[in-house]
Amino acid sequence: MQQASSSNAPLLSVRDLSVDFGHGPSAARVVDGVSFDLHHDRTLAIVGESGSGKSITSLAILGLLKHLGGRVAGGEIRFHSDVLGRDVDLGQLSERDLRKVRGNEIAMIFQEPMTSLNPVYSIGSQMVETLALHQDLSRRDARRKAMEFLDLVRLPHVGRLLDSYPHQLSGGMRQRVMIAMALCCQPKVLIADEPTTALDVTIQAQILHIIRDLQAEMRTSVIFISHDMGVVSEMADDVLVMRASKPIEAGPVTEVLSRPAMPYTRALLAAVPRIGSMTGTTMPRLFAIPGQKTAPDAVPAKPVDRSKPVLEIEDLTVRFDIRGGLMSRVTHRVHAAEKVSFDIYPGETLALVGESGSGKSTVGKTIQQLQEPVSGAMRFHGQDIFSLPAEDRKAFRKQTQYVFQDPYGSLNPRKPVGESLIEPAWVHGLVTSRAEAREKVADLLVKVGLPAEHAGRYPHQFSGGQRQRLCIARALACDPSLIIADEAVSALDVSVQAQVVNLLMKLQAEQGLSYLFITHDMAVVERISHRVAVMYLGQIVEIGTRQQIFENPQHPYTRRLLSAVPVLDPGVRRSRPPLEGEIASGMRAVGDEPAPIEFVAIGDGHFVAAHAQ
Amino acid sequence: MPVFRFILQRVLQAVLVTLVVTLFVAFAVRLTGDPAVMLTSESSSVTPEDLNRIREALGLNQPFHMQYFDFIRSLVTFDLGNSFFRGSIRDLIGIALPSTLLLALASMGISILISIPLGIHAALHKGGISDQVIRVLSLVGLSFPNFWLGIMFVLLFSIAFPILPASGFESWSALILPATTIGIILTATNVRLVRTQMLETLSAQYVMVARAKGLNERAVIYKHALRNAAIAIVTFLGLQFGNLIGGLVVVELVFNWPGMGTLSIEAIAQRDYPLLQATVSILAIMIVAVNLAVDLVYGLIDPRIRVA
Repeated sequence: MQQASSSNAPLLSVRDLSVDFGHGPSAARVVDGVSFDLHHDRTLAIVGESGSGKSITSLAILGLLKHLGGRVAGGEIRFHSDVLGRDVDLGQLSERDLRKVRGNEIAMIFQEPMTSLNPVYSIGSQMVETLALHQDLSRRDARRKAMEFLDLVRLPHVGRLLDSYPHQLSGGMRQRVMIAMALCCQPKVLIADEPTTALDVTIQAQILHIIRDLQAEMRTSVIFISHDMGVVSEMADDVLVMRASKPIEAGPVTEVLSRPAMPYTRALLAAVPRIGSMTGTTMPRLFAIPGQKTAPDAVPAKPVDRSKPVLEIEDLTVRFDIRGGLMSRVTHRVHAAEKVSFDIYPGETLALVGESGSGKSTVGKTIQQLQEPVSGAMRFHGQDIFSLPAEDRKAFRKQTQYVFQDPYGSLNPRKPVGESLIEPAWVHGLVTSRAEAREKVADLLVKVGLPAEHAGRYPHQFSGGQRQRLCIARALACDPSLIIADEAVSALDVSVQAQVVNLLMKLQAEQGLSYLFITHDMAVVERISHRVAVMYLGQIVEIGTRQQIFENPQHPYTRRLLSAVPVLDPGVRRSRPPLEGEIASGMRAVGDEPAPIEFVAIGDGHFVAAHAQ
Repeated sequence: MPVFRFILQRVLQAVLVTLVVTLFVAFAVRLTGDPAVMLTSESSSVTPEDLNRIREALGLNQPFHMQYFDFIRSLVTFDLGNSFFRGSIRDLIGIALPSTLLLALASMGISILISIPLGIHAALHKGGISDQVIRVLSLVGLSFPNFWLGIMFVLLFSIAFPILPASGFESWSALILPATTIGIILTATNVRLVRTQMLETLSAQYVMVARAKGLNERAVIYKHALRNAAIAIVTFLGLQFGNLIGGLVVVELVFNWPGMGTLSIEAIAQRDYPLLQATVSILAIMIVAVNLAVDLVYGLIDPRIRVA
């Protein structure tokens, strides 16, 4: 134990850790026999899918389990605490002593930056609170130190920021505040639980960069919890893979990622969409799913017939009024979509990519007629929809179907799924008898790869991936010609994501469906799409075939999006330039309208905004 | 700027609500019949000329909007005129309003003092024995009619063990029984409200973050969770004030408390419509004022309202 301070001994050593929730025979083991060492100046990534026990392991280290109803059932967590001046087992430590370690020697950043900061206290008071707790500082010194750390995470105007409240900041800024708050007592260990999962990809790149920089600067060891092998590859020195509460595989990142020993690790890695893996191909291709026979080319790649488009969007403009002042006059408008134009052909997937606030979902909702446009035209099989009277528009609504991001929220929890599935078909009069409905439900379930007899089950009896399959089945019930998938696979674990994307591609090949695939995830886009449109602040800045966009991106924003995606290349730390600033907002004063974008043709069907030239 | 806008908006709303309520009161009071006839119903020798003279004296032969306008003016100047039988309304209300406010504040205070610690305790020990006991007791409290509870208290503490006065407001000790009666009734709902609100905020991410900082449980609960729960609790207390006034009328009667409730009931019994109109309107204005105060306090607690 004397060598605790030498750099060879691990800083934190977890041995055979088990965590139980509940008591007696009904107790559930959520972490089962986990062991790992965290060394000085190193980053250990704990990887796994939802429910693998990776977050619970980190809460066990901080002794926070009892507030969730869990407890350490076995094993030990050895840590040398300088504050307490001795080696301790964090699993057995008294609450009093744990409080001296928490936030001081071991700090944590959580997944949800939007809810991690207390909404009723200013940023300054929340940071000063931590500093006052662990360090003997006057109020003024604590404020100065808080400013110093906000500056370190590259937040602007730190003086003013101290008096701001969380709701005034964006998600990325809040996560940076969290990092500053976690690091302000210079902890020896930083636990980061999926710190970038809820953020946009360019903001994710910023945050990862900041964590890595500060780690090197402050010589902090990091436990990085993630489900994303790409992020792990960029961040970690060592990896621990967990599955269903158990550790599966552990080792240095280069070894585990390039020579995975376990099939599950291989499956996780294979499921990570890799940008660039499609270079040279023109058509979409299925994901390879380990353990399944489906060859990547099982779907016949039919060339898209470009004679008659399914949907033509022309100069679509959607704005939201912001009222202010005493008279509630419109002072600003959010230009959610500004003169957006594109076509989608039968059997084609057009990916609409962009980050939060780019207006991509607004475009989808306007096409589904959930949102009224300010101006613009939409032609469906040549018929102008917006000029039709309201009753006639309804008929067209069934031809486009929407699949939402959240499969939990979009199925009625109190109805058997069979009823939810057939509901749109009833509404549009496509089925008329119960027998017909039953047959159709069975048919739909089989189409999306679920057993027909599951029609009587309720949504909570399905997994997240299965629920998204149900939503797709419901979308198919009206035999639509266009499906709008709005971040439809973003909330799913990678392995499940791959399966759902494959399902979408198979259905497209079988039924000649067209997709408008709205997402921020460039890696999925590369697999599924024929063509890609990049949106930025309500305008399309670049559009072209998948190959053109990925292999010859012209607009700086397209390049920025592509370069921000974490790459699965273990051990290689890309020294990408730190991207400064926030995603700009599309809010403008009344009268200050954005200049319409002029497009320049780069290649056949490849257009880019002229301002990029 | 957003703060001023917020305050101005709320004040304008309160004024509008007050106008609507008083209009309704003035109209409804007149629906109960001709005051001149009621006033004279006891005596047998009333001629139509007598009635007309009375109407003229009371201003009843003027059009309704003129009467309403006079009424509003009397409220604004607080020159409320005379009751039919008991002299200056201003003097009557001058005595009744402070005693009612005192009783209302004391009841609310008792309820807050009991329900916040109990609600927090129940939330922290969710599903435990103390939580169950608190929930059952609050259900029992909810099922009591307030007048019955008041009578029981009188029987127990004034008759069986004569330690507290049963009625009137001659000494401060007379406040204890009526205030406790209403306080307990309010506590029954408030305890449940505090419990659910605390459960919700305790499961919020920022509470876990506060714990991960190394704060002790007291700071986590009282500083981080309670302040957030208070946003909903304060709103509810404002809405509850309306119910409180309703309950107050009955309990004042039980304890013969010289407040606005007793005064209005007497005005109804005697068909003293100028007095009735004044007391009901002032009670309504009180409720509106309390809700305005709540809105402003709400802005103080929640920066999302204060800072745009």
